[in-house]
Amino acid sequence: MQLQYFLLIAAALFCIGIYGLVTSRNAIRVLMSIELLLNAVNLNLMAFSNYLDPQSVKGQVFAVFVISIAAAEAAVGLAIVLSIYRNRDTVDMEQFNLLKW
Amino acid sequence: MTQFFAQTAWLIPVYPLIGMVLSILWFPSVTRRTGPRPAGYVNAITTFIAFIHAVAALPAVWQQPPHYEFFSWLQVAGLDLTIPVEISALTVGAMILITGLNFMAQIYAVGYLEMDWGWARFYALLALFEAGMCALALCNSLFFSYVILEILTLATYLLVGFWLNQPLVVTGARDAFLTKRVGDLFLLMGVLAIYPLAGTWDFNELAAWAQTADVNPTVAALVGLALLAGPMGKCAQFPLHLWLDEAMEGPIPSTILRNSVVVAMGSWVLVKMAPVLAISPLVLQATIAVGALTALGGTLIAIAQIDIKRVLSYLVSAYMGLTFIAVGTEQPEAALLIVLTHALAMATLVMSCGSIILNNITQDVTQLGGLWGRRPVTGLAYVAGSLGLIALPPLGGFWSLLKLADGLWETRPVLVGLLLVINALVGFAVTRVFGLLFFNQPKPMAVRSPENLWPITLPMVFGAAFTLHLPLIMQSLSLLPSWAMLNRDVALLLTWSSIFGVSISAIVYIGNFIPKPIALPSKALQNLFAYDFYTPKIYKSSVVGSVDIISRITDWLDRYIVDGLVNLVGLTSILGGELLKYSTSGKTQAYALTIAFGVAIIGILTSWSLIADLSLVIGD
Repeated sequence: MQLQYFLLIAAALFCIGIYGLVTSRNAIRVLMSIELLLNAVNLNLMAFSNYLDPQSVKGQVFAVFVISIAAAEAAVGLAIVLSIYRNRDTVDMEQFNLLKW
Repeated sequence: MTQFFAQTAWLIPVYPLIGMVLSILWFPSVTRRTGPRPAGYVNAITTFIAFIHAVAALPAVWQQPPHYEFFSWLQVAGLDLTIPVEISALTVGAMILITGLNFMAQIYAVGYLEMDWGWARFYALLALFEAGMCALALCNSLFFSYVILEILTLATYLLVGFWLNQPLVVTGARDAFLTKRVGDLFLLMGVLAIYPLAGTWDFNELAAWAQTADVNPTVAALVGLALLAGPMGKCAQFPLHLWLDEAMEGPIPSTILRNSVVVAMGSWVLVKMAPVLAISPLVLQATIAVGALTALGGTLIAIAQIDIKRVLSYLVSAYMGLTFIAVGTEQPEAALLIVLTHALAMATLVMSCGSIILNNITQDVTQLGGLWGRRPVTGLAYVAGSLGLIALPPLGGFWSLLKLADGLWETRPVLVGLLLVINALVGFAVTRVFGLLFFNQPKPMAVRSPENLWPITLPMVFGAAFTLHLPLIMQSLSLLPSWAMLNRDVALLLTWSSIFGVSISAIVYIGNFIPKPIALPSKALQNLFAYDFYTPKIYKSSVVGSVDIISRITDWLDRYIVDGLVNLVGLTSILGGELLKYSTSGKTQAYALTIAFGVAIIGILTSWSLIADLSLVIGD
């Protein structure tokens, strides 16, 4: 097992998250993609912490913070999606292009 | 006392200037109630004072060496513009002629402009002319002569354009200004080009320089031709002659001046520049060619005109051409003598014709006739002017042409022959007008034609008297050749050519043998002379046409290419903004994609060296 594999897995996960973020039409799925991105980051943090800093494991502390902040962000994100849904009666991202040129 | 007058001779141009400024008081917009006549009287008085001053100064300078005065005008680094004033018998004599003719013309205008409101403007301009001509006579510097010539060009524009509500006047004034301006601009090139060569603009120093000048012949020829072009425009020489024809739209009193003296000022400058022109034989040849062509063409055209004023204007061109021949053959004295005799005779002729025009309205000689019985004074003045103009002894024109022909007799017999032809043609032209005006049956326009009132008749009679007495005046000034020195062959030939021309014309136009109007066998030839060799068309198709086309092209280039390029910059910016705003799509996911691409590109760029190493590693 090497650090590079973990990093590559994390990068792959990040790219999948980016793809989902850009292509999804459902707003909830966009939030889910963001979670994928954050998890990819967490994977990185854990891997670096394990291979490069096994003594003081600062990466794991960072990961804990990222998980907790991600939970809060998801909560706020869902709240925003709910409030848009109440106004416009849809969660289709294609319908939210009011603020253009 | 006369010494005092001679030393203050430079004041003479100042009197008419005072008159000019005072005339402003009687502009219709300033003096609204009492009319403009005092402007004329004031100017006549100032002119008379100038005349008296010049006459009083003559005895003191007579047969004395020239006396010079210097007025500092401007001194800047390396350039000293001092106005040299020459007070000599010649310049004082010229000023007597100028002020005398001006006085006559101004008195004449009192009668002629009886029914006109524009006295103030007219007399102010006449005074400006008088001042300018006196200043030109006094001024002994090429540079300041140029300055004065330009002022006179502007004054010509204003004076020809006196009755500016007439369309032909406006075009005539335009042509007079532009044509003379072109000549003046060439003159300016010459004036500027001669300073590095000679280092001076003083005529005396230029003459001294020209004695020993060692100049590249091409440079000398080019400078000489440029200096020639100024007087060519001023003297209405071919091909810059159309303006004088069109300047006949101006009032007659100004025509008196223009025909007699204003045009001669070009000859004056030419005479003063004669030593410089003589450096290059090519320039002398060109001077002779221009003069000969103009003299021959002018007389032929004059014979074919039906407008009295235009007949006289082409004769002026012809006589100025004779002065060009004189200068071209290095006889400046003959040129000055021609200017003197021509001025008096031509002034008399113009005054006499003006006297007829004022009462008979038409200027068309074919509409007039049979005036001899009712207009004896005008007729006699016309005769005196004509005889003074052509070479008929003992009058003035004979002596000036004799002097010219005498100088040419040994060296250039061809030019003497030309001179004889020209003299005969001038005799034909003046006699033709005389016959058409004064003989045969009166036409409807000339049936009732009274003699004019005194302000017109008096200067005319004085002009005729001066013309007739000119030989006596010349004799007392010892300008006539002595009997022993007289070249009798030339004198006889000149006399016979005059008699020949006059009598042929008299037979044709006074006798009743040939039906009028006379048609030449070749209609095209007759029209060619009558329409002045179609000069307006030549101008229009050559200079005017090309300048017009070029200016249209430049205007188009400016409007569309230069303006277009600058506008294109603005237009591109507008377009760029209009198009690029669509990058703000309003879709959050698109923004996220942009951010992702941005980060990716920046990442690749910053880690480029690492990636390059990586490829090397893989390559190995």
